[in-house]
Amino acid sequence: MSSSTIEFRDLSKQYKDVLAVSNFNAQILSGRVTGFLGPNGAGKSTALRCLLGLVNPTSGEALINGGPYSALHDPIKKVGAVLDSRGFHPGLTAMQNLKVMASASGIDFGRIAEVLKVVDLEGATNKRTKGFSLGMKQRLSLAIAMLGDPEILILDEPANGLDPIGIVWLREFLQKLASEGRTILVSSHQLAEMQNTVDDVLIINKGVLVAQGTIDEIRQGKSLEEAFLDLTLRRSA
Amino acid sequence: MKNLLQSELRKLVYLRANWLLLLWSGLFAALGTVAPIFVLNSENNRMGFSGTTTPEGINAVFANAAGGYLFALIMGILVMTNEYRHGTAVGTFLVTPKRSTVLYAKLIAAAFAGLVVQIFSYVMAVSSGFIALNFFEPHAPVPMELLWKVFRASVLSGLVLGIVGVGLGALVKNQVAAVTGAVIWTLIVEGLVVAFVESVGKYLPAGAITGLVDVDFGKNDFNFSIANYLTPGPAILVLLAYAAAFSILAMRTTLRRDLD
Repeated sequence: MSSSTIEFRDLSKQYKDVLAVSNFNAQILSGRVTGFLGPNGAGKSTALRCLLGLVNPTSGEALINGGPYSALHDPIKKVGAVLDSRGFHPGLTAMQNLKVMASASGIDFGRIAEVLKVVDLEGATNKRTKGFSLGMKQRLSLAIAMLGDPEILILDEPANGLDPIGIVWLREFLQKLASEGRTILVSSHQLAEMQNTVDDVLIINKGVLVAQGTIDEIRQGKSLEEAFLDLTLRRSA
Repeated sequence: MKNLLQSELRKLVYLRANWLLLLWSGLFAALGTVAPIFVLNSENNRMGFSGTTTPEGINAVFANAAGGYLFALIMGILVMTNEYRHGTAVGTFLVTPKRSTVLYAKLIAAAFAGLVVQIFSYVMAVSSGFIALNFFEPHAPVPMELLWKVFRASVLSGLVLGIVGVGLGALVKNQVAAVTGAVIWTLIVEGLVVAFVESVGKYLPAGAITGLVDVDFGKNDFNFSIANYLTPGPAILVLLAYAAAFSILAMRTTLRRDLD
């Protein structure tokens, strides 16, 4: 049986009047692709940001390999993350942005050409990113996440704004990463895509975990979309 | 730390806006020495300063060579606020979750950038001043001591204002608001306080820099006298206190903040 790589323990985050995440408990198994699903404002991004040490939990904890993200040595070599399609300076080229990140973590610049090839951005290496399409920005974000060749990938809505070709590319990209045995936690609204990609599913609604299991356990013979709607909208109605 | 510092310096070098800012700082400082030469030697000089035939007039011209510190301040602000404006703070803190380390690297990088800005401004201002003086022969000699005093003030103000900029950027976050506030403060508010309320102004950064320059302009209509400002020793301490205070401010605001 796979061991737990990522763990949320009684995680709560309160923003003034809004309880974004409430006593959230979940485990992500290593070597599997886990879909993190929930309506807008359900608390997915907040939970992921707590996991990555960007947001301080009000209570509870979020752990990677048994400890907080901040305790990881050379974290970019263990965890790659895409949290939005910004994350790089528009006035710099793709190559310059990657050099900035690589030099901060002591990664050899030879790796940059490799990740640009992986995300099909070789043709835009020296183009300033302010001229990038949304799809190109998502690819560059993925390239940055892959710089350290991490075992764990945390992706928040990586399909947002992608056209159909981009979505197909992303699906194949995630499947390739999964086949390499990496642990992937991906939040998305693309339920049809998730159905074809993920092994396990976490569903969060109004900050509370409403379901966790393998894709088959969650679907129970239905489509993922139907199961998702049952577990969120219809249950809370 | 070494890796992080290299990364910060790459950001500074790669961004074309920074080079443009450096160029503007040089032009601003050059104007600061050239314009007074023409004004002081005009027949309608109503400022009350001596012309460039006197040592005081030469002092009034070259003291301005340290005047590009606003651009060192802006450079420091950009070092910090670019992270929030473009969302790169997330990537930066993912690579280095220990935020204090990131802040140390930014403070050092901003101090270095401020230093470069001020040295470049100084060179531009002094060389432009010498060229402009050629049009108004004869003029009083330009003593090395004066140039050294202004250079000392340029170096220290560049280092300190770069650091102050990081602190301001950490506090305000909004780049436009931070830069606009810095410009209004430096060019208008601080300038007026330093010129007309010396008892308070001498403790402000511009007042401390004036004290550090430590040259007199002679009798004039503004009743300016360097004796009303801090001597170089206390002026240096005041500037270092600003650097320390804004470094602490940057740490306290950035270490606690959620990155949403």
